[in-house]
Amino acid sequence: MIGCYDFCGHYEWTFEWLRQQGGHALVLDYWEQAIYGESQTHATKLILDKGFAGMKEYWGHTLEHEAAGYQATEGEGVYRIDMHECPSKGFLIKNGLVQYQDYCDHCIGWIGPLMRDAGFVIDHEHNHAGQCWWEMRRTEHATKAGVPGELSGDADVRLRPDWQTPAIDRFSRAIHPDDKLP
Amino acid sequence: MLTTLMNAEPGSPLPYTDTKLVGAADFYFALNATFRFIERKLGKDALHRYWQDLGTRYYAPVTTQWRAGGLRAVADYWRAFFKAEPGAEVTVEQLADEVVIEVKTCPIIEHLRDNQRAIMPDFCEHCYFVSEAMAQPAGLCARISGGNGRCTQRFSTQALPPQDINSITRCA
Repeated sequence: MIGCYDFCGHYEWTFEWLRQQGGHALVLDYWEQAIYGESQTHATKLILDKGFAGMKEYWGHTLEHEAAGYQATEGEGVYRIDMHECPSKGFLIKNGLVQYQDYCDHCIGWIGPLMRDAGFVIDHEHNHAGQCWWEMRRTEHATKAGVPGELSGDADVRLRPDWQTPAIDRFSRAIHPDDKLP
Repeated sequence: MLTTLMNAEPGSPLPYTDTKLVGAADFYFALNATFRFIERKLGKDALHRYWQDLGTRYYAPVTTQWRAGGLRAVADYWRAFFKAEPGAEVTVEQLADEVVIEVKTCPIIEHLRDNQRAIMPDFCEHCYFVSEAMAQPAGLCARISGGNGRCTQRFSTQALPPQDINSITRCA
């Protein structure tokens, strides 16, 4: 049997297996169709129905359940997550598991299409060390991403002394992994 | 794989360990969706190959433990495995030439049902394909009977008749 205890390990392994079968496009399809379209329908329902309140309800439950070190902040027209200890990436780092080129892209791989369908855009950065931040705003809301500390104060992950890594990936008003800034 | 083994918790039969004692059951939704996606996109043979590749590659450290430790290592692994799966009701018995696992409540099927998820009909076949791929290089063979929430899994040092896929109950 394949279990959920080491799920993140075989999940990450699966990305690379799929890439070898059908390239980047198949991995993107997997995140959008299998993860967003089927696995995460409980998140989809909450966020499509309730918007920001649904985000709070979904991530409050899920991140607690996964024992994540994070803070969620609700601001005027924005929902922000500061992830200090990603349980998923942390599991891979702890166990030395690296098969796919960028595991962290899987989050925007399914959350991006969800936000697109719910009428939101995402500002996001991840540092490949188990830390990231997210800001979700209504598509028509033109406000730019907050500067470090502006929305979540001292909990802003960008204020950590270990935030800066050699390869931080950035997304601005994004809905898709390929929206990654050069 | 050496890195993996070096990072495993000392003394744990599980090759990949977490800070949590038990996994998050909602990940079972993703397993079900992943199998369905691969079958739909790449076909049934590719899904079988995916399961076999998982067994021989991702779970290679387990095979290494089984090859070195024999049936004792097989029993230790499955006891630790099911202890970390939420809602599993399982007995693991080590006999002279086989380990017999009686799955009274499969945690995956239970959770998918509890959440009204459509279970992929051939879902339970993954247990055979993955386990056989793990077992064979260790000189063992794996056979499954039952399914759809309850099954018997045998890991034997003896050559057993080939797995009859039709004896694995389809999920409904």
